[in-house]
Amino acid sequence: MRPLTLRRLFLQCSLLAAILFVVVVVALKLGAVPVSLYGLGRDLISVLLHQTKALSSDYGMIVIEIRLPRILLAIVVGASLSVAGTSFQALLRNPLADPYVLGVSSGAALGAVLALVAEPHLALPLWLAALFTPFGAFLGAAATIAAVYFLGQRQGQIDSATLLLSGIISASFLSAIIMFLMTTLSGRDFRGMAFWLMGDLSSSLQASLRWVLGIGFFAAAGAIYTTAGDLNLLLAGEKEAMHLGVDVRRVRLVVYIAASILTGLAVSVSGAIGYVGLLVPHVMRLLFGSDHRTLLPTAAFGGAIALVLADTLARTVVAPSELPVGAMTAIAGAPLFIYLLRRGSA
Amino acid sequence: MPFAVLAVLFCGQAICHSQASPPPRQTPPPSRQITDEIGRTIRVPQSIHRIVSLAPNLTETIYALGLQDHLVGDTDYCDFPPEAQQKKKVGGPVNPSIEAIAALHPDLVLVTKSLNRLETVQALADIGIPSFATDPHTVHAIIASIARLADLLGASETGSALVADLEHQLSGLHDRIASFPPRRVLFIVWTEPLISIGNDTFIADALRHAGAISVIDSSQNWPQINLEEVVRLQPEFLIFVESHFGAQPHSAGDLADLPGWRLLNAVRNRRYATISDAINRPAPRLISAVEDLARQLHPEAFTEKPQNDKEEAKPPAPAMSLRSSSSFVLKDLGALSKEQSCAR
Amino acid sequence: MSSLAQSSGWPNLGGTPRTATEVRLSVEQVSYAYSANPSQAPLFTLEANSFQARPGEIVAILGPNASGKSTLLKLIAGALAPLSGRVLLDGFVTHTLAPRARAQRIAMVQQETPLLFPARAWEFVLQGRHPYGRTLRFENEDDVLIARNALSQVGAEHLSGRWMNEISGGERQRVVLARALCQQPLLLLLDEPTLHLDIGAQVDLLATLRRLAAENRYTVVVVTHELNLAAEYADQVVLLQKGKSLRVGSPASVYQRDLLEQLFQTPLTVEKGPNGRPRVNLLPAP
Repeated sequence: MRPLTLRRLFLQCSLLAAILFVVVVVALKLGAVPVSLYGLGRDLISVLLHQTKALSSDYGMIVIEIRLPRILLAIVVGASLSVAGTSFQALLRNPLADPYVLGVSSGAALGAVLALVAEPHLALPLWLAALFTPFGAFLGAAATIAAVYFLGQRQGQIDSATLLLSGIISASFLSAIIMFLMTTLSGRDFRGMAFWLMGDLSSSLQASLRWVLGIGFFAAAGAIYTTAGDLNLLLAGEKEAMHLGVDVRRVRLVVYIAASILTGLAVSVSGAIGYVGLLVPHVMRLLFGSDHRTLLPTAAFGGAIALVLADTLARTVVAPSELPVGAMTAIAGAPLFIYLLRRGSA
Repeated sequence: MPFAVLAVLFCGQAICHSQASPPPRQTPPPSRQITDEIGRTIRVPQSIHRIVSLAPNLTETIYALGLQDHLVGDTDYCDFPPEAQQKKKVGGPVNPSIEAIAALHPDLVLVTKSLNRLETVQALADIGIPSFATDPHTVHAIIASIARLADLLGASETGSALVADLEHQLSGLHDRIASFPPRRVLFIVWTEPLISIGNDTFIADALRHAGAISVIDSSQNWPQINLEEVVRLQPEFLIFVESHFGAQPHSAGDLADLPGWRLLNAVRNRRYATISDAINRPAPRLISAVEDLARQLHPEAFTEKPQNDKEEAKPPAPAMSLRSSSSFVLKDLGALSKEQSCAR
Repeated sequence: MSSLAQSSGWPNLGGTPRTATEVRLSVEQVSYAYSANPSQAPLFTLEANSFQARPGEIVAILGPNASGKSTLLKLIAGALAPLSGRVLLDGFVTHTLAPRARAQRIAMVQQETPLLFPARAWEFVLQGRHPYGRTLRFENEDDVLIARNALSQVGAEHLSGRWMNEISGGERQRVVLARALCQQPLLLLLDEPTLHLDIGAQVDLLATLRRLAAENRYTVVVVTHELNLAAEYADQVVLLQKGKSLRVGSPASVYQRDLLEQLFQTPLTVEKGPNGRPRVNLLPAP
């Protein structure tokens, strides 16, 4: 009998953090521009000390201004999607659930399309204009979350099966509306829409947006983590959980809202990157067990690692061109999913 | 039982479909066989009176050749010259209404390989309407296309005059800027994600005629580019296309503040060039856009003459200025932002 | 009301005397009704039910299918709010307790325990400590000790490291019971716990409950339709028919032939068994 202790959790997280660090260093090194590890180290220290003028090479700025933010974005988005995926799998008691199963990504995409359509007609100050599309995406996500929540209720409570069904229907419906808009709105150059469908981490985010993303991640993930023990029991059955002292209604609400916020934030800045939210929880379950007190943090690390790797591949394999990062996650994810399926754990 | 009825109706219609013929005429008109630019052989009437254009650049070309009276239908996006907007619309280039096209009884439909779909051409062929496809990849190919269309549509004289004028413009331009080294540029199709043009596009060739060379070397037509690569290449100029149809994610004014972009010397020194979206259309106006771009990239080549003295093309129909593009030379960012948000 | 008067007439089955202790569980005139939707007539009504139970007692709720046994159990557990009446546990109204407080006093063993992701027996049993944990608390040695103790109390220590989906029905039932014990409850509720067990396992389980009730002073309420098992092990029997309680009392007083025949619609005889408890014999149909 080896129950989970804080010490074991800490060790597991440290291991994953170390792996993430190595992956980040490799990702910083790879790219269109050659970078030496030594120069990299010095540059990072210079940046931390706010001495940006003292960067060791011309290319130091490239790494700090372009590569590093992109890697950080990949970390936050990957962690968000994995935590959201884990939460939805627990909430819906369905191992096939992923962050998009409840239609959030379609809602975000619709919000983004509408924002793209509306923006030229509004005279927005510069700082607001840059935030407009992600904001629209997030509004779309939030509206979908609320709508699916209300549709997914039965007798006043979230019912997993009803929730799943209403989410799937909403996703289809919203996708159809997006298609409709894209074909009927005349002359719109919707090249950017491919970005939504496949996911893309190359956006340069404004500072304010980065703060929102970071704080949002920690707040939402933290809220979900407080219910980690309850989630373990929820998986055994809702009635069981209730008899064991879980306030099922409250836990469902908290997890639903927090996981949807995580998904909405991720999708509004990077489009719909698939497979991360679905598979990382399963892999972490295989490696570290199904106890959500470890599963949630390890999934966060796992998602970060996976997405940084995928993004690095996406921007290096066909340099100077880029592949959409969603394509990389799909290429790696589909075989992995088949493997897990055959192994019998999915 | 109802299924049987439906099945019979469906089969009956399919059979009728396969025996489709053009609207009955008293005598079949004389026709000839020609090959279009993608190698298809089509049969067209000897004299073509009714044309439908399924691409904005082809509509422009028709007007430039003075054949607009023969143009019976065009697409929703055909907006130049302004009179083209009054023509009957058949939908967008990608998904036009086959019925609407058929209702106009065209003798010929003009399409381009890059914008239109093979399915559309097939569907028209199935109901006996021939389509002529153009597919130019260089500026000279565009001019040759115009000549070919002129011959096809019975406007050879106007065509030759137009072609001669365009060639003259090009060679005049070439003389001016030949002595100057070509500028290394990044042609921006879209900023988020960053998309540029590939080697095989006519835009890349147009850039060469304007005394520029795209820093991106890609065989894809619309490659998505990593900003890092652009920073490494440090193009001398960034080229923006002014679009009627909506703002880009970032206008030139924003770029100076964005991380990554501000590493570009071109951004720091505000070395931007903006041209009208005529650059996107393989049509006569492209040459003017090329010249306009050349003026922005090599201003010192144009100092001695305020306007060049080439004669305007003189189509028999209402005169259309070839220089009516709405481009301008960038003076300051404020003007640029306003223009981009006002231009419609 | 009847149990106190009648329990004094029973032979002592060993263990501590059960008389003259305070009432722990008091079910007072509890009723319930549910319908498919609020505007329709109720599909099922449970009429006013009352009985009391003391620490160390086993109460059996008996009746044919759809008589409201499970509903009554849920009302006792506080999972449902009664339409009228109330259920008191040591003075607390069960359905008004917060989930955590309720889980520390009442443990429920259900018929089926589905598991979505695989778990080991000890992990499963440790879940019973959840009502005592703060948020984000990890189990400590006390919890582990209690869990181990619970497993040994049900005789399932050897199953500790096994996967839940690999053990047999009877063994699984014992592990589930161990989890319930980890909650250190006052009231132990079981819904048809013998349903999928063979006879040996059934007797085993009931004997274990008997022992646990005596040793740990639990009040146990078991829903079952096993007449003879209930007669053998219960101190009180509540007989339900279509939502109405026909009789409440000791097995001897409740197991009347005409009553049971009316209830189960089958001919039977009732005789006194070897240790004084009634035994029901089913007669072949004429």
